[in-house]
Formats: sequence, structure tokens, C-alpha cells
Amino acid sequence: MLAQQYVGIKRDLDEKGIIFSFSGYLSEGILYSLGEALREKMTLEDTDGPTVRRVFAVFVEQMQNIIRYSAEKVTGAREKPVELSAGMVTIGMEGGKVFIVCGNTVYNADVPRLRERLEYLKGLDKDAIKTYYREQLRETPEEGARGANIGLIEIARRASEPIEYDFLEMDEGKSFFCLKARI
Amino acid sequence: MESLKLPATGRTPEVDFDFAQGVLRLSGESYPDDVATFFGPIFAALRAFLAEAGGHPIRFDMELLYFNSSSAKALMNIFQMLETAASDGRSISVTWCYEENDDSMQELGEDFSEDLHHVAFTLKQIPADGAS
Repeated sequence: MLAQQYVGIKRDLDEKGIIFSFSGYLSEGILYSLGEALREKMTLEDTDGPTVRRVFAVFVEQMQNIIRYSAEKVTGAREKPVELSAGMVTIGMEGGKVFIVCGNTVYNADVPRLRERLEYLKGLDKDAIKTYYREQLRETPEEGARGANIGLIEIARRASEPIEYDFLEMDEGKSFFCLKARI
Repeated sequence: MESLKLPATGRTPEVDFDFAQGVLRLSGESYPDDVATFFGPIFAALRAFLAEAGGHPIRFDMELLYFNSSSAKALMNIFQMLETAASDGRSISVTWCYEENDDSMQELGEDFSEDLHHVAFTLKQIPADGAS
């Protein structure tokens, strides 16, 4: 029964071409470990260096978005500050391309602005994304933003197709947010 | 002024700022879990160094193979400091290295060089070492 249950989940993942999938509390430590595993797997498959780096770059930005902006977080400090953010990350192959999907909850109040930024990015072609990146690189960070605001632009820039995103409204003022990038 | 040397870690680059010689080098990868904590001391040391009167010409070797978007902001900050010093008359050259076939890194080099008018900027292709 146990094996039956879990093989079902595994088969479902396999059928969707999913190589890695992690759901639960994410941290910078998990980002590092999963990132290393991802690079090792791709390097063993003789993927060329720049492609490995592009996939890795998108992975890092996606993971850091969850860690920073997930609406479900546990923070505290033991020996050093810990920040655990709930979300999921899925990496797979589809039509010969690597894809990375990230999912996490966001506050409904933050949805309109995020949607607006994603929609804008989605409509830009390669050159426009590059110009936008250059502009944002020179901007001072927005109030309350940690790190750079150019994370989403970086994802769009390294992706080989326009990014895809979706929101699903849940309860308690939160929505589930998904972002998919193909590299 | 004393050199600033930091060994590379899994997520942070090797920093080798030899202030006495005026040769500054960043190499490896940069995606620290806390950008401000990592780059803070680097900014402080560089600022102090650039504030010193006169001094050697400065060479900055940018040999990062990968950096995340938060590090990009920090690098921009470093480049702006160098540009300001160069516009005040200091002789500064920057070499941006990228591995052959790494178009992303080459393009980023172009992005970063856009605001540099007084710094002598060179894009340099280096052979790929096969590792990522």
C-alpha cells in the first residue's frame, strides 16, 4: 500500500519529465544543495557549460524569490538567523528543453503589482529585456525589497521562451503563485 | 593599505585586492545568501583605497563565471566607484573575462561597460575549462 501510494506520485512526476522536485520549507542551504545536484546531473549528461550556467542562474533567482517573498514563512535564530519559506520547485525536461517551475503563496495584496510586472516582462522581446535589465541595474532598490529587483528580469533574460505565470486565489487573503521558465 | 584577500567559498568568489600593487581581482562565482554581509567589507576597503591620494594605476580583473542578480547590483556599485575615481583622474582599467561560448556573460560585460567613460574597459574571451 505504501509503495503503491508513493510510486503513483513518482510515476506522475516521471511522466511529466520531472527530474527534481522539492516541496516544503526552502532555505538558502537547500538552494545550495539542490543547485549543486542540478549542476552535477547536467554536467554528467555532458550539457555544455554555458547552458548549465543558464539553467542554474534561473534556478537561483526562482529559489531566492520563494525564500524572500513566500507568504508562508518560519523565521528565528538559534546559532544564526534561519529563514524557512514554504514553496515548491520543479525542474524537468520538455520538448528537449529544461524547464523550472516555482510555486509559493503570496498575499493577495501583492498580486496586482506582481502580475503587472510579469505581464510587462512577458511582452518584451530579447532586446527589450536586455534594455530593461540595464535600466534596473542602475536603479536603487525599491522600499522593502531585499537584494535586487532584477531577479525576474534575469529569469526572463536567460529563458529561451517568454515566461509563463499563473495565480490561484486561496483562502485567508493568499494566492498560489506559479512561474515557469524554459531554458 | 593592507590587501583584502578572501578565499572562495561554495557561494562567494575569491577576492584578491592587492592595494599596494593596485591589482584587484574577483574570481569564481557569486550568489551569497546575504549580499550585504559579503560585499559590505569589500565596498568599505575599496572606498578607503580609492580615497587615498595619488597612488598606482588600478587594474581590476573581473573573472566571475557566474553571479546572481543581487550580486549584479553589488558589482554595479563597485564599477560606479571605479568610474568616479577614474573621472577624478585616476588611471583605471577593467578587464571583464568570459568563457568562450558564454554569451550571457559576454552580454553582461557589455551591460556593465555602458556607463564607463573614464575607465578603460576590455572584454576578454578565455578558454572554457569544461567545468561549470
